[in-house]
Amino acid sequence: MSPEDGLRFASRALTGHRTRSLLMLLAMAIGVASVVLLTALGEGARRYVNQQFSALGSNLLILLPGRNETTGGAPPMLGSVPRELSLDDALALLRLPGVKAVAPITLGSAPVSAGRLSRDVLISGSTASMLPVRQLSMRSGRFLPAGDPRRASALAVLGAKTAAELFPNRNPIGQTLRIDEWRFRVIGVLDDVGEAFGMNTSDVVIVPVVAAQALFDVEGLFRVLVEVRQREAIPRVRQRVIELLKLRHDGEDDVTVIAQDSMLATFDDVLRALTLGIAGIAAISLAVAGILTMNVMLVAVSQRTGEIGLLKALGAPQRQILALFVTEAALLSLAGALAGLALAQGLIALAAQIWPDFPIGAPGWAPIAACGTAMFVGTLFGLLPARRAARLDPVAALAGR
Amino acid sequence: MRWQDLARYAFGSVRAHRQRSLLTALGIAVGIAAVVLLTSIGSGVQRFVLAEFTQFGTNLIGIAPGKTTTAGISGALVSNVRPLSMDDAAALAHLPNVLASVALVQGNAAVEFGRRSRRVMVIGAGHDGPDLWQMYPALGRFLPDDNPLNARAFAVLGAKLRKELFGAASPLGERVRIGGERYRVIGVMEPKGQLLGFDLDDTIYIPTARAMAMFNLASLHEIDLLFRAGSDGNTVAESARQMLIQRHGRDDVTITTQEQMMDVLGDILAVLTAAVGALGGISLVVGAIGILTIMTIAVRERRGEIGLLRALGARRGQVLGLFVVEAVLLASLGGLAGLLVGAGGAQLIGLAAPDLPVHTPWQYVLGAELGAALIGLLAGGYPAWRAARLDPVEALRAE
Repeated sequence: MSPEDGLRFASRALTGHRTRSLLMLLAMAIGVASVVLLTALGEGARRYVNQQFSALGSNLLILLPGRNETTGGAPPMLGSVPRELSLDDALALLRLPGVKAVAPITLGSAPVSAGRLSRDVLISGSTASMLPVRQLSMRSGRFLPAGDPRRASALAVLGAKTAAELFPNRNPIGQTLRIDEWRFRVIGVLDDVGEAFGMNTSDVVIVPVVAAQALFDVEGLFRVLVEVRQREAIPRVRQRVIELLKLRHDGEDDVTVIAQDSMLATFDDVLRALTLGIAGIAAISLAVAGILTMNVMLVAVSQRTGEIGLLKALGAPQRQILALFVTEAALLSLAGALAGLALAQGLIALAAQIWPDFPIGAPGWAPIAACGTAMFVGTLFGLLPARRAARLDPVAALAGR
Repeated sequence: MRWQDLARYAFGSVRAHRQRSLLTALGIAVGIAAVVLLTSIGSGVQRFVLAEFTQFGTNLIGIAPGKTTTAGISGALVSNVRPLSMDDAAALAHLPNVLASVALVQGNAAVEFGRRSRRVMVIGAGHDGPDLWQMYPALGRFLPDDNPLNARAFAVLGAKLRKELFGAASPLGERVRIGGERYRVIGVMEPKGQLLGFDLDDTIYIPTARAMAMFNLASLHEIDLLFRAGSDGNTVAESARQMLIQRHGRDDVTITTQEQMMDVLGDILAVLTAAVGALGGISLVVGAIGILTIMTIAVRERRGEIGLLRALGARRGQVLGLFVVEAVLLASLGGLAGLLVGAGGAQLIGLAAPDLPVHTPWQYVLGAELGAALIGLLAGGYPAWRAARLDPVEALRAE
């Protein structure tokens, strides 16, 4: 029997029992579709986190005052320490080789009012470098002017939401607003880029760092963002930053320096593992589909003993009978896998339509792995029934016993 | 046909095709086992997390400065123009049903003893701390009930910090330097482990006012209220809010009751558990298709038998019942096997990895078994209906 004849024989056998074949195909398709769909969800989550991180800026070192000895634990988030990270510390970092820009940040919350409208808003004190370092962009007006960062000019830049809430239907540029008891002049409004890891850039007022320090009566900085010139230099610059601050702090190593990359890598690893785990759970259904295939093939073999006997009587060797039944199982799995893939792609496209912000999409390996597993499982579970068929005694089989 | 006969008949046909029945049931078993195992892990994690949070007691109310609106760190915690003061904390202690009011700040500083030094979390707290956290000194005592604004320079060590600085020697009465200031050690807390990445044992406790001076803070980070068990947390929270509005002239704090937090957390975790269970449920759907397929084949094979039954006077409902019972039987047997494997697997995981909390929620298990029977009912329904609709004469001729 030529291979084409074998294929034709197998596909005839499948189309002969339409309901049964369709059901097996459905089972396989559900398995493949769920594997592909779930990996697409996991991959989407990973891409989403990546986007959030790159929205924070790139090649960043994040400095927090204080340091915990326990490694692997959470860094000191609130940053109240006996010796604070000062503006001079931040500006000194600019002289290090490899450092492109430094953005000092103080943070606080205060009531902001314009006319009769008032609201509690996040106040962020910074310098002109914050715009490029955080990769913010202006909707209108301009950002804090470059110049001596130690000068406390009374200028303010508003987040998009703050501007809309405090100046409804009015152009805020050039207007004055009060932060607590202090007067500031609005010089710009930021583009709304949403939130990145709780660092809100939409409901915020940005003022010069010294003004914020005076407003809240604090000396230290909450964070310092350091942008490094080249990605490869990050570990080296990190070491230099630590050494310089240690020198400036009388030999005390009391600052936590986090590389943005290492944070991202941790998240990436966790989400990858999670995606794999979910895909694995979904793949259990493929095994169940394999069991179903085996079951139905066994029934088919017992129903078609006469046919097998005839084939044998006509001189078909054992191997050929085996090949016939395995082909049948493989064809079925292939069709099921393709149907499942089509279903999954359809659902992914639908999801992308409904939630355009969520970057859903199956990674390249997912469809291949899902189809491969389906084919492998189907063929493997088809092997046992096929062997049983191949080993039938021709005389007994022809007699239909 | 009596129902005993019906059961015996269905059982007989399940047994007649032993291999086929076994494989069909296996399909369901794998699905049920997956659901049971996954929900066991999910629910175990849920219990673990909730227990972590309730270890500090449930009659707690937290008050933080500023109106928190976004996720992440509230700016008001870092600095704000409307501080929460020690006087506020003292005033709140006089509210009805409030047992303790603890003013908290936290920071980070180096603790030195002799030539050893270690950077740890410094917590400024009052003498009521242990009652609030349900966490007591293992050695010595906690901070005394001094005048809160002028407390003596005493410090209480966390278990890990004690080990790192003093080893096996007793730290009681020794002097340590915290951020350059001298403190006398009067106690060591019992070990408590980690919470959300914070090592609760790598800490040192000092009086709040001293911590505020050390860190140059104008405002407390939080005031925690412990209220009498049995009284309503929301009422206490409301009276605390009223008092602070009176004192500050406006509503400028965020009040969270432990109850609210636990509710939210519990809801999130329950949804996660259900989602994980649903993932396992995909296999169950595939198993259901297996039953549907096999029952379709069985009806086709046994047309002659059905014809004979009908010719002998069996009604359509009875034929329907026969096949449905067979399908349900297959599914329930598979479900039972899956239950055993799933629950057993969960126990094994629990034994192999004691750190991974495993808990098999029995309502899920019961639900899974009922679900399996229901799947049998649904998947067997269509083929059984086809069998019942067969024309007796046609069916007999098929023999």
